[in-house]
Parts: sequence; C-alpha cells; structure tokens
Amino acid sequence: MLLNLALAAVLAAGTLTAPDSRDAAPCREPYRVDQRLPNGARWQLCWEMRTIEGLTVTRVVYVPKGRRGVGVLRSGALAQIHVPYDSGEPRYHDIGSLGPSAVPLTAADCPGGRRREQTVCVTTRPRGHAHLKDGYGDPGRRRSAQGHELVVLAAYQVGWYTYIAEWVFGDDGSITPRLGATGSLAGYTTTPKHGWPTGVGHRHFEESHSHNVFWRLDFDIQGRSRDVVEQYDFSGNGTKKRTMVRTRLTHEAKAVSAPMRWWRVLDPKVRNGDGHPVSWEISNSDSSRYRGPAEEAFTHHDVYVTQYRACERLASMNAAPRCADSVDAYAGRERLADPVIWVNVGFHHVARDEDADPMPVHWQGFRVTPRDVTAKNPYGG
Amino acid sequence: MRRGVALAGSALGVAVLAGALILLAGDGSPQAARTAGQQQPAPGDPLTPEEVGRASEIANRRHMAGGRVELLYVERDDDKAHEGDRRAAAYFYDYARDTLVVRTVDLGRGEVVAESKAAGAQPPPSRREEVVAAELLLADPRLGRGVRAEYARAAGRPLRSASDLGLRGLIFRGGPCRTHRCVRLFVRLPDERFLDTSRIVVDLSAKKIHTLEW
Repeated sequence: MLLNLALAAVLAAGTLTAPDSRDAAPCREPYRVDQRLPNGARWQLCWEMRTIEGLTVTRVVYVPKGRRGVGVLRSGALAQIHVPYDSGEPRYHDIGSLGPSAVPLTAADCPGGRRREQTVCVTTRPRGHAHLKDGYGDPGRRRSAQGHELVVLAAYQVGWYTYIAEWVFGDDGSITPRLGATGSLAGYTTTPKHGWPTGVGHRHFEESHSHNVFWRLDFDIQGRSRDVVEQYDFSGNGTKKRTMVRTRLTHEAKAVSAPMRWWRVLDPKVRNGDGHPVSWEISNSDSSRYRGPAEEAFTHHDVYVTQYRACERLASMNAAPRCADSVDAYAGRERLADPVIWVNVGFHHVARDEDADPMPVHWQGFRVTPRDVTAKNPYGG
Repeated sequence: MRRGVALAGSALGVAVLAGALILLAGDGSPQAARTAGQQQPAPGDPLTPEEVGRASEIANRRHMAGGRVELLYVERDDDKAHEGDRRAAAYFYDYARDTLVVRTVDLGRGEVVAESKAAGAQPPPSRREEVVAAELLLADPRLGRGVRAEYARAAGRPLRSASDLGLRGLIFRGGPCRTHRCVRLFVRLPDERFLDTSRIVVDLSAKKIHTLEW
C-alpha cells in the first residue's frame, strides 16, 4: 500500500511536467498573477486589458498542492454580451470596445487585493467550506476546512449598465467565469405584457430583456496538442437506471444544455497519479437558454466547440476580415485538433422595484472543475 | 424613481435616473503596458505605449489609395502561431469604400507582414468615432437642438462640444446600415440622466442620422 502511494506520487510528478512554476514567467508585473492560496493551491496567469474583449486571462496554470503545475487555458475572455429587449427592439451587442469602457477601480472596489493599472483588481476571498467531515466524537478525526479563491476582475460602463467581469480561480482547482450587471436600468417604457411596473403605481412598465453572455475559452492542457472534447449524457427517464453515454467530439460541434449533460476537455497523454487523463469539466446548467430569431443563430446553442482560429474572437459581430461573423458559423465541419470552447449563458431580467437605483448586481456564469487532475483531493490535510 | 419624458418636437426622450452612477472615462489606450518601462516586454505582456506608437507608424507607412481612411485602434495580435513574436493588429476603416483593413505588424521585423480587407466587417467603435458620431448628432437641426436643450437643463450651462457628453457607442447593423458603418450612442448628461437614443443611429459612412421605427 505504502509502495503504491509512493509510486503514485512519482507518477504524478513525472506526468505533470512543464510549464513549471520555476520556468521564466511568460509576462511581467503588473500583468503577472502568481497566487498561492492558504491551502497550498497555486494559480499562475497573465492578464491583459484588450481594446475589444476587455479583461483577458492568458496562460493559466494550476499548481495543485505538492504537485507540479498543469497548463489549463491559453486564453479566456468575454466573447459577447447580447441584450435583446422583450418587445423585440432594441437589440444590443454590448461589445463594444470594452477596454476603453473599463471603469477605474478604487481601493474599496478591491478589498484585500491589489489594483493593477487602475482597472483590474486581483484579490483573494473566502469561499465557504472546502470540506466538512464529522469525527464521530473524535476531534482528531474531524476534518473541516474553509476554502478561498483568487479573483481577477474588471468593470465596464456600457450605457446604463455597469458590468463586473470576474475570473474566479478556486483553491479546489475550479474556474468560474461570471458577469454581474449593475448600474442602472435602461428606463425603457413598454406595455404590461413586455415589462414590470416599477416606480409608483402602474404607469411605468420597465421592459424585460435578456443578457446573453458568451465566453471564449481556449483550453490548452499542457500545450495545444492532443486536446480532446467529450460530451457526457446519462440516459434513462422515468426509470431507475441511468447509463452513461460518452460522445467524443471529433469535429466542430454545437450543443444544447440538457439535464445532467456536461462536457470535458482532456489530454489523453497527460495523466494523474492514478493513470487517468487530466481533464477539466464544463457545466452550463444555469442559463435561461434564450433562443433568438434565425438571424441570431449564435443564440441557438449553449456550448460551441470549434477548431482554434486566431481571428475567431467574438461570438457575434466578430470583426476580422476573412473570418466568419459569429460562433454558429465557426462551428462548421472542421476536425478538432486544438479545440476552443464557447459557452453561452443567458439571464432574463424582469425588473423589480428593488432594481432602482443603483441596481443590485445580478450574476450569470458557469463552472469549470478539475476532473482527475490529481489522484486524490490534495487538500484533505 | 424614474420616468420617461418625451422631448417636445424631438425623437429624443429622456430616461431620468436617480442614484449615483458615475461614468469614468478611460484613457483610450487600455492595452498599452504603461509601467513596463524600458525593459523588453515578455511574450504575454500587452503592447507598450512605445509599441503601439511604432505599430501605428509602421502600419501607416504604406498609403491607402483614395478613400476616407481612419486608424481605429491597435490591438496586440495574440495568434498562437506566432507565440514568441511581438505583433500588433492595426484596425483601419475606409468610410468611403466601407471596408475594414487590418494590417498586422511584426514589431521585431519592423514591417507589415499581413494585410486583410473586408466589406461588411464592423469592429467596435473607437473613442474618436464616438465623438464624431455625437458631433453628427449635434449637427442634426432637430436632434441637435434637443440634445443641447437637455444638456443645458442638466448642466445649467450651454454645451460647448460633443466631448462634454458621456458617450459610449455600439455598432448597429441592419436596416439602413447593412453596408455602412453605423453606431448607436448612449449619451449621459451631467445630472446622470441618459438621453433615449435607442432609435437613433448615426451613419458614419454617409454622415447622416437614421431614426429607426419599431
């Protein structure tokens, strides 16, 4: 048993190789983030405030406690904020030059952290229980720990809205991209069937609308080669049994969310100490799943998987010559050799009296969690 | 509390907003690595101000014949195929021909290494375009009068120029703007109100205003 454990440790050290935390950093201060969290988990990444996409994280490496680092994302950024109003008009695409729209942050906007170049905050914060396991009366066997997370955030002023874009890196190896909308409501008056009465009485009906937020994640698990995407389903409805169905996406794909459905990106050659391929799981279960008209086909799916092309950056209104205009068109028939994942998360906002003013932030996002990155929970104490 | 107020004789309305909403302007070159100093930038660093300036100069060296061409902005080229190189993409728009031109500059070699053009591709508006669009709005006799009146009411003094307004622009396509470069503006007044400009589209190619109907 002991020998097996030792062997596993050696395997783990041998399989998760470069990029090593000791290698030359791919970026410098103030663009470098290298944060060790209280439980020993460590995240290394670079950030950039791009003119079009705004805050972009690049070269993201997760270093589990006691192990070597593993490259996760080559880059991650917002890819569109599509805002159609319920009466049919107006319909906005809120990217927008996000970079120049970034709001200078105060120290109070970045509690416990450090502002980088005024518009980016890098901080850490508690995330509640990491685990809790009773000792059945034996305090020595009781396991309880509080978790923490690294946050890299920026805020943008787009019209009435202030958007807060967060990249949250958990001390459990998870990544949570999320967008919060705050600022003010538009103040558009509509008919009762498209809105909700705000203000005194029933004179002003604030128009309901959607925020369909797209993220682009270029996964490169230990480099750009060999990455594979799988979709998992669990068949069985109204029955006792559930049967796992694995679909390997060999070609570009458009997928919709479904109960229990998730995806993962893995590199079959990068293994953990148990010999299982290292992967990151993507779930998108918290979306209002907006579906627009035919000319907004980019809203018709919840996850897109495309072959990497440098010019494909926005999910709609992409502006690059010799490049398609939207993500539904990127997802053609190409064979996947270097997959990029696009996640579409919708939030339908029906205003309420509490939304004025300033509007309390409402969040939308999704989770990326490690699956078999380490052979066991490295934070069990 | 908010309420919608229609401007007499104008297609503009005003959304009245209460509460503290402060629109803070950036400096227009967010991608510029301002504190990198004289040190050579690392591969993942944003472009330095010096690199942005040099990329603009190199991209502008070869004249673009005819047209009405403006440099929108310079973005770092993040193509993985050129991982170690310092490259920049300079976005130009030709309003006369309604064509986007992107010139890729290799800063190490000091030259343009690629140029691509497309009609119909509309990158987000630049800060300068937002101001130009506001100037066109102010030049419209009816709408301009409405904006000035609302500004004077909010600020207690007359509008001096378009840059007095809090501006943010988004690209509008469709309708009269299928081929032209058009923006829809958000216009914030000093008293935190926003003009209701949702139906107003500024056509930068034709230098005119369209009012949408729905």
